[in-house]
Amino acid sequence: MTPKSCTLFCPSRRLRGRLTAAFFTTLVLGTGAFAQMRAIALPSKSPLVTFRIVFTTGAAADPADKPGLAYLTAQMLGDAGSKDLTYRQIVEAMFPMATSVSVQVDKEMTSFGGTTHIENLEPYYKLLRGMLLEPGWREDDFRRVKDASINAIKVGLRGNNDEELGKEVLYQTIYQDTPYGHYNGGSVGGLEKITLDDVKAFYQAQYTQTRCVLGIAGGYPPQFLDRMKSDFKAALPLNGGFQWRMSQPDAPERTRVEIVDKDTRSVAFSLGYPIAITRAADDYAALLLVSSYLGQHRMSSGVLYGSMREKRGLNYGDYAYIEYFPRGMFLMEPPQNLARHYQIFQVWIRPVEPPTAKFALRLALYQLDQLNRNGMTQEAFERTREFLSKYVNVLTKSKRAELGYAIDSNFYLTNPYNEFLKAQLAKLTLADVNRVIKSYIRTDRLVIAIVSKNGEALKRQLTSDDASPMTYNSPKPQAILDEDKIVERRPLHLKPEDIVVRPVDQVFQ
Amino acid sequence: MKIATFTRVSVLLAFAAALFAAEPRKILPYPYTQEDLPNGLRLITVPTDYANIVAVYIVVQTGSRNEVEPGHTGFAHLFEHLMFRGTPQYPSEKYNQTLNRIGAASNASTYNDKTIYYTTFSKEDLETVLSMEADRFQNLKYAEPEFKTESLAVLGEYNKNSANPFSKLNEALYDTAYVRHTYKHTAMGFLKDIQDMPNQYEYSIKFFDRYYRPEYTTILVAGDAKPKAVRTLVDKYWGKWKRGTYHPDIPVEPPQDAPRTVHVDWPSPTLPLLMIGYKGPAYNDSTPDTAALDALASLAFSSNSELYQKLVVKEQKADALFAGAPTEVDPGLFEISARIKQAADLDYVRDQILATVQHFSEHPVDAAKLDQVRKRLRYESALRMDNSDAIAGILAQYVALKRTPATMNNLFDRYAGLTPEDIQKTAAKYLTEKNRTIATLTGGAK
Repeated sequence: MTPKSCTLFCPSRRLRGRLTAAFFTTLVLGTGAFAQMRAIALPSKSPLVTFRIVFTTGAAADPADKPGLAYLTAQMLGDAGSKDLTYRQIVEAMFPMATSVSVQVDKEMTSFGGTTHIENLEPYYKLLRGMLLEPGWREDDFRRVKDASINAIKVGLRGNNDEELGKEVLYQTIYQDTPYGHYNGGSVGGLEKITLDDVKAFYQAQYTQTRCVLGIAGGYPPQFLDRMKSDFKAALPLNGGFQWRMSQPDAPERTRVEIVDKDTRSVAFSLGYPIAITRAADDYAALLLVSSYLGQHRMSSGVLYGSMREKRGLNYGDYAYIEYFPRGMFLMEPPQNLARHYQIFQVWIRPVEPPTAKFALRLALYQLDQLNRNGMTQEAFERTREFLSKYVNVLTKSKRAELGYAIDSNFYLTNPYNEFLKAQLAKLTLADVNRVIKSYIRTDRLVIAIVSKNGEALKRQLTSDDASPMTYNSPKPQAILDEDKIVERRPLHLKPEDIVVRPVDQVFQ
Repeated sequence: MKIATFTRVSVLLAFAAALFAAEPRKILPYPYTQEDLPNGLRLITVPTDYANIVAVYIVVQTGSRNEVEPGHTGFAHLFEHLMFRGTPQYPSEKYNQTLNRIGAASNASTYNDKTIYYTTFSKEDLETVLSMEADRFQNLKYAEPEFKTESLAVLGEYNKNSANPFSKLNEALYDTAYVRHTYKHTAMGFLKDIQDMPNQYEYSIKFFDRYYRPEYTTILVAGDAKPKAVRTLVDKYWGKWKRGTYHPDIPVEPPQDAPRTVHVDWPSPTLPLLMIGYKGPAYNDSTPDTAALDALASLAFSSNSELYQKLVVKEQKADALFAGAPTEVDPGLFEISARIKQAADLDYVRDQILATVQHFSEHPVDAAKLDQVRKRLRYESALRMDNSDAIAGILAQYVALKRTPATMNNLFDRYAGLTPEDIQKTAAKYLTEKNRTIATLTGGAK
């Protein structure tokens, strides 16, 4: 892939027309940037108060030679001392309140969150305000968070979690040479190069009023939000200047495979390609429905799960996504505040036993072929639509989640997610969904990321058209055996030059 | 039989105003009903203030602890999988499609002492969920080929967990610390038993017949639901479930007479890991032991502790340090875990942890610090209860121990009554050298 020319993001009139006036009071410039700090408030009678403070900046703003700068900056705010208090003093102050500040860095959003009991609102807010608006910038904090960030790559990602490693390699490969083209946590070399001065400069340039969204929910007092607004306005510069954005990345010319070679028991797959669909797009609900039908996250209802795990016992589960969903092995529901202008379609095949790896890949691709060829039935369409229309209530079951979705809706310029999704789903027809399947579900020009031992041997297997027959430990229905005969010979169309084998210690190095 | 009902007032607001009033309220701010059906099934209903959503958690007091026969570890967990294999009325495809239609989130988890099945959904689908769940708990039917296929999914789960060295170290710690008791194996089971599962179809039927019985089961309903209506549905769909007769003979662990160690060589590069386990007490809400060890874990090893600040923040020799008290039906391990940045510091970090344990066994803690822990525990609980699913999830952990949410209130009463001397005495009683197992893991060259 080649670097893309930059264009400004411009929300369409259609999207702006969709907004519910009472929900947002924001001024959107023609460029898509926001002219002022935004506030999203969901007051209630709850004894809890939840904060989500989001800056619309992140890893995509990292300098090319210092990937990880956005990540380290956020850690120096959320996991370090403030001007007045050392890290230890903050930990000690938060301890009896059972509070903390969470930090999440994505490509275009950096978010800080926390929940406090109303009894501790004042002391908690004072700590939070100090951390975000008057950082301490101490060298010992910097050394600690930098080490932790490097170990998160070396040990947390490379060493301990083959599945997340595969997913992040997939994203990095798809977005190679674009501002999205590195891991949100940076690279080992990039992190090592970053200085505390780099972090301070990034904070000054990126943490501005126009990029700031103050989110609050719960039983806070009536004047509290005004106080927050004035605190943040007084401390943050108004504007960080125009933010240039990349344009929609292309899929590769041919399918590419990245094999991460490491000593591990099993073989983990993630595969996908860029899509021009986000929540701001007309076809969002239709494609969400398709991905839910194909493989709703951590549920047994999807086609992939049924075919790969339930019928054949290949692994622990198989799912499909149209939005970035990190830490999926630990989470049942998607995290919020990962809004992006560009997303990918992704299939996650959980680790399989090495002898079945090629068959598993063929079977996943075969299911995508089948979906593209046959579309969905009326029954499956209606069932999946009913599911999503109700499941959205589960997704927004807590004030914390509702607030997160509200901030994302502000980013995408849509109505509140619950109401938005239900309305979009209600309008859908089977014809819409099957049209979207034809447009977006395919099996060519993919990126396939694999984590496996004996990478070179796997590469040889994948470039050969030899059959990969399955053997089972129990009798199978004839229909499955017949299907296997087709799957085991499904061409992968891979040449040796399409496959790169990379030792694990070179990944995110 | 209704055995516990509280007056329902505007509890949340009162709770907000008085979490730390002179007479602290019960930690659980919701009234609940607790009822036993004649067949031994228990029903607990917790109406909450969160509209539209209902969470049904079905707690089976069967976990890896109940796997008493050699060669059959991992069967409680296998059942977590098999329970989704369907019944004559709801074959798995129909079951999945029905859950799909109602937009439910559904899953299950297995632990040492329990298996929990949970479903969260819109309130109008309560009858559908309770009837489908009743059907699979009473009429689960799977053929041998399906059984064999599902056993492979369990192996797949082991495989995905096996990439994490902490999982491996945890396995080694328990395998070494226990000689006879079934806590010797984790909820996943021994790998060799998982690999042999496909050959154990007949045993699986026996396991289901023993443990999937009303006297082992509690249905916990939290959310936008009324106790009377829930009881009517539970009577209708679960009333005919037959009580069983099996009582497992769980092996008693003999007292440990000397410290133990185990080392794991990890094949790929990773930071050194350390886990130290001390044989602790069984969960108990009527003596200070469980509460004292829980407070000790916080005082000695949380991010606020002297040791954490020394090893992680100041010296930066470790990048993770945490501890947890045992909350199992039988005596479990008080665990202390650390990740060390340099292999050369492994012994130093271990010695610092052991010295800290020694210190807490010999000196009473500062009363003000103990107060802070008490506050934290209460606020932590309040902060976690921010939706019906979370409330059910928290209560399910307690219900699995004593079959009643009352034990949560009792435990918090024990926290409230703790003295610095309680902490010292409990540390001295359980965190002894001969009760100790040290497990270490170091990574290989790249």
